[in-house]
Amino acid sequence: MEEIMENMQPVPEEEVHYSPLRYAWGAVLAFFGVSSRTHRASKKRAKLVGDVFTYIVLLFGAFIMVYPFWWMLAGSFAYTGRGAGSETVLHSLIWWPSVSTLDIPESEAEVSFFENYIILFTEGLKGDYFASNYDYFRAVLNNLFYSIVPVVVGVITSASAAFSFAKIEWIGRNKVFFFLLAAIMVPGPSIMTTQYAMYSAMGMMNSGTAWMPLVIPGLFGSIMTAFFIRQFLFGLPTSIIEAAKIDGAGYFRIFCGFILPLAMPAIMAQGLLSFMGCWNNYMASYIFISSNSEWINLPHAMQMMANRERFTSNVAPTIAASVVCVLPVLILFACFQKLIIGSLMLTGSKE
Amino acid sequence: MEETIATAENVAETPVEAEAAPQKKKKKPINQQKLQDNLWGWLFCVPLLIGTIWFVYVAFIMALIISFGNYDIGGSSGNTQTVFEFLANFKTYVERQPQIVNGMTVGLTEVSDPLHWYKLLFTTEATVGGYKMNEMGAYLFNTVFYMIGIPIGMVLSVFFAVCMSRDIKGGNLFRVLYYIPCVASSISIVFTFRIMFQPTGVMNSLFGSEGFEWISGSRNWADTFGLTTSNEFLKSTYWCQGIIQKTVIVIMSVWKGLGGTIILYVAGLSGVNAATKEAAQIDGANGWQIFWKVTMPDLYPTIFYNIVTSVIGGLQIYAEPVLFFEEGPLTSGYVSLIWGYGLNVAGNSANVGRGAAYGMFLAVIIFVLTLFQFWLDARKKD
Repeated sequence: MEEIMENMQPVPEEEVHYSPLRYAWGAVLAFFGVSSRTHRASKKRAKLVGDVFTYIVLLFGAFIMVYPFWWMLAGSFAYTGRGAGSETVLHSLIWWPSVSTLDIPESEAEVSFFENYIILFTEGLKGDYFASNYDYFRAVLNNLFYSIVPVVVGVITSASAAFSFAKIEWIGRNKVFFFLLAAIMVPGPSIMTTQYAMYSAMGMMNSGTAWMPLVIPGLFGSIMTAFFIRQFLFGLPTSIIEAAKIDGAGYFRIFCGFILPLAMPAIMAQGLLSFMGCWNNYMASYIFISSNSEWINLPHAMQMMANRERFTSNVAPTIAASVVCVLPVLILFACFQKLIIGSLMLTGSKE
Repeated sequence: MEETIATAENVAETPVEAEAAPQKKKKKPINQQKLQDNLWGWLFCVPLLIGTIWFVYVAFIMALIISFGNYDIGGSSGNTQTVFEFLANFKTYVERQPQIVNGMTVGLTEVSDPLHWYKLLFTTEATVGGYKMNEMGAYLFNTVFYMIGIPIGMVLSVFFAVCMSRDIKGGNLFRVLYYIPCVASSISIVFTFRIMFQPTGVMNSLFGSEGFEWISGSRNWADTFGLTTSNEFLKSTYWCQGIIQKTVIVIMSVWKGLGGTIILYVAGLSGVNAATKEAAQIDGANGWQIFWKVTMPDLYPTIFYNIVTSVIGGLQIYAEPVLFFEEGPLTSGYVSLIWGYGLNVAGNSANVGRGAAYGMFLAVIIFVLTLFQFWLDARKKD
């Protein structure tokens, strides 16, 4: 007790005289919220200075995080269609391209504001490796298919497994769960060559069935999704299920009528996260789908386009392609950021 | 959400109490119930079980077996066997009897022993910038170099997380903004960064280093910084080739991964005991002391989880360096080896066996490293 009292007392007035310079320095420090031997800064001042400093640091960081996306957007409106050497427009781009699709003189060409997007969707992947009637929009549709079908079905199968692991008592439940959980120890690249051979043996690699390797495995759900939904289900009271059981509801009805609606936040968050993972899944498409197939997904299509000779100097349409690749997930993330960040925070606190 | 639970609970509780008593008297329905539990429990997890067993465990065991044999598909090998047929005949492969399929000899014609691919892993040489060295060593070194980003990212994300958990307005907004790079496609980001890092690009005008070659050009320390050194190590060994290029990848991966770790640390920081902090403050500890003595120990589990996951992820780096630069021993990560040999992406014959052997070695590395980390963790707790 005495010790605390001692600490709370003000700095004793000592008989030491500081030089005026030291005294002034102390005043300056105190103004910026730092206590020293001559002056004691007020708590309010310290907090204010700390807040200002924090804002400066955070704003600077946020700028670095967001700037490349602004650059991407601005770059997609650059005009690089003037032949060799015109890609330097993009090199010098900082805020807005020096030659944008806005300010092309009418005499040069009929260039609309969305010129690069028009080029992308009309002739993005025509010719070269692809059929002359291949439409870039097809890759967008492919990507939607690859990231909606396996995710929706997969999240439901994962949720059903999670329900079984969290709320139904059956023999060997935990053993099966840990057996499944051990699968995350197997690194993906180690088995991908074998999966390639396996899928091709199962007839999933023919030109008509090239979509299968990106869809079929996803339909069975993923153990990590099941793990997080199970974590969430542990927080739900078991009495609901008991009550429903006594009222005569079967497990299937309990799952559809109670578990799915009640666990919706967790299911949605996991579904959104895996949607974004599937949307950006360049690897699977690159490995399992041959590059001239019409079934390639969007990142793969963008990469194919970047490799094309006719877009080496006219780079801006490829930038437009990268905007098309990024923008949908960004919009989705902006809409559901509360849910997604909340779910990630929960992951962090529970591990 | 919580309200619905609460109301559902209230509604649910009355029938439980009412009907629980008569159920206890009969014995048969309970057994019936247990049977039902077991049946439905299995039924509900059967899809996930089948998927995981087939696409992960069976694939893993197949990869392990194939890695001792010589199986290739497509391209020039002329092999028309499916992988299942190959495994059914695997015995003949181990006995080193070449098979004749469609008039062509396939199988262990070149392979003299089951460990052939594993031996190649350690004996194949690669040439980098005029210097010969072990191929796996070169690729593995690149991978480890990229993992420099892990400690850098950790320090930065703890710093930003501490800033964000101050009592300020708009903390949530910052969390969202910092997470944006994590959700964006890395293909788009690499393509954008490639242009931004051009000699006349944004990065150079930002740093005032016009004309600096980030992506190509001088490839070792001595040339990059104009050192006139006689030190062989700095000048001419493999280890110092392509440092600048690798640094670009480190910068990019730190930038891309920061948001995710920040969120984990913010969550970890919110769990730090506020009472302990206040007590330390009253006892006269300054902010720095509080951070190291109170906050950090509480944050330790988050840090540990983060290190484990980022080391596992870091060892599997593939797309970024390959898309940023051309694929090769100078900049590519270890996974490039697996897919370079194991897949016929470019239409060449793909030796699945070799790819599988290289993959198994990666799995062993990851497993050993993870065990090592858990061992360190256990030792720290004692």
